[in-house]
Amino acid sequence: MTAQMSQLVDSDNGLLSRRIFIEPEIYQQELERIFARCWLFLCHDSQIPQPGDFFTTYMAEDPVLVVRDSSGQVHAFLNVCRHRGNRLCRADTGNTATFTCAYHGWTYRNDGRLVGVPYLKEAYHGELDRERWGLTPVAQLESYKGLYFATFDPEAPPLREYLGEMAWYIDTFVDRREGGIEIVAAHKWVMPCNWKFPAENFGGDAYHVHWTHGAAITTGFSVGSTASPATANRMVSPGNGHVLICIGPDGFGDAPMPEIQAYEREIRPEVRQRLGSRAALVNPIVGTVFPNFSLLRGTSRTLRVWHPRGAEKTEIWSWVFVDKAAPAEVKNAFRLSGVRGFSPAGTFEQDDMDNWQECTQTCRGVMARRMPINNQMGLGHERFDAALGAWASDSGFSESNHRQFYRRWARIMDAESWTEI
Amino acid sequence: MGDELIREVEQFLYREARLLDERRFHEWLALFADDVRYWMVTRSNLYPRSSKAIAILNPGRNVDETADEDGLAVLDETKKTLEGRVARLETGMAWAEDPPSRTRHLIANIEVVPGDTPSEFGVYSNFIVYRSRAETEQDFYVGMRRDALRRVGGGLLISSRKITLDQNVLVAKNVSIFF
Repeated sequence: MTAQMSQLVDSDNGLLSRRIFIEPEIYQQELERIFARCWLFLCHDSQIPQPGDFFTTYMAEDPVLVVRDSSGQVHAFLNVCRHRGNRLCRADTGNTATFTCAYHGWTYRNDGRLVGVPYLKEAYHGELDRERWGLTPVAQLESYKGLYFATFDPEAPPLREYLGEMAWYIDTFVDRREGGIEIVAAHKWVMPCNWKFPAENFGGDAYHVHWTHGAAITTGFSVGSTASPATANRMVSPGNGHVLICIGPDGFGDAPMPEIQAYEREIRPEVRQRLGSRAALVNPIVGTVFPNFSLLRGTSRTLRVWHPRGAEKTEIWSWVFVDKAAPAEVKNAFRLSGVRGFSPAGTFEQDDMDNWQECTQTCRGVMARRMPINNQMGLGHERFDAALGAWASDSGFSESNHRQFYRRWARIMDAESWTEI
Repeated sequence: MGDELIREVEQFLYREARLLDERRFHEWLALFADDVRYWMVTRSNLYPRSSKAIAILNPGRNVDETADEDGLAVLDETKKTLEGRVARLETGMAWAEDPPSRTRHLIANIEVVPGDTPSEFGVYSNFIVYRSRAETEQDFYVGMRRDALRRVGGGLLISSRKITLDQNVLVAKNVSIFF
């Protein structure tokens, strides 16, 4: 293995080695120790509502098939045929009783069992034990409030324990009203950057908003809640590397569309009551569930996964979500605010790409790589806030979440197993 | 559809392409009707019903990709939001286009068909848009447009434009140009 990652991440002094964004050996170690170990987001319940519905995605670079079997139970398998390793399912979504591999025709039922092998008698002399060659399931699969997560590590703690205090913060995105959320739009695209730059950005970079997104803010595409260092804004770290940006409890982060603003004002008392007393302290608007699942409720509402594709490439899968209980015209307004704000063409999002790309690409230079990243903003101006159940910054601008995120990253990278974490 | 109209439409679309490549965005905006819907959708990977890779359990669940095009839109704009996008570019902070992209719009397969109303007609066209940016970045955006053109006075206005971009996972890092 490579150097101790704790030597590359100095969160006590707010310094971060840039080697972790470019070196292939470190990326390979991330695949083994971060992505084959942590709970990763798969999809939302509303994307596979009926028996037989399936959804294909990835856990890091591993293709994964999520499917609701004919009896209604949800499974997640490697999307790989057990015979020669061909990718089994090539569609994004659909509905089926069985999946048949395009190479030799091995057929699996939607609960993973191998039920069809062409010429079983002639080719295998009837000796292939089909029960042993079903699809490979993930080690653990659980859902929280309709969000399905899985891990490849049987030793990983249960999902609820892994999320810890972050669970309440997730509620503020997906459990604001009875019925939760549903997905209304999907975007997928490729960015030439390391996956950690968008993950840390969504987890705690309120500082970039006023400048990176200045064009969109000054031309009326946002109410701009995070764009100023208002004292009510906090960077919040509920533990285990999970991080969020919160605005003040009375702040509005949503798009400046009349349907959305009116809807949010109307449901606010109901939402406050549902979420409990902490909602009177903070209003979370964007965050990252460690390592690569982010939630956004400012300007646009999206859930997204930053799929790593090598140290220098990331594939974004992003879904616009709405409260299921919202009226149709409000849902459409949220869909439009998502499409217009945070998509490859988004008036906000398009201006993020070059920054993350160039932060990554300059690391190719040996001299630039020796220059540490400065994560010192607000160092020493954060404290544990019992009411929030989290470490929180004193100011709206702070890199306290960056320090927490990378401290967790180094700890998991250096640990031999979950018992050391 | 008469040759004269077809010729007029071709020249209209070629001029539009040149306005975009020359970054004359205000003149480009003037080609659109105030009630335009300007939208761009991407494509899904779905098994056709005849596919032997699956055995559909619930026939009501497998739908054609055009049934959910709203869900795959990357642009869904009005005249007002298009104007906002042009205003964005003039703030000096629209970093995706600063320095600007170099684009070349190639428009082909132009087909003029009757419209939904007497004052309009439909136009299909295919496009290849080459985008060169910074030092060595290159993107190709390839797809189809279905426009409705409206006769207003002696000229033409685009009253609807649906752009289909033929990719599932976009390989470009962003869509910061117009089509």
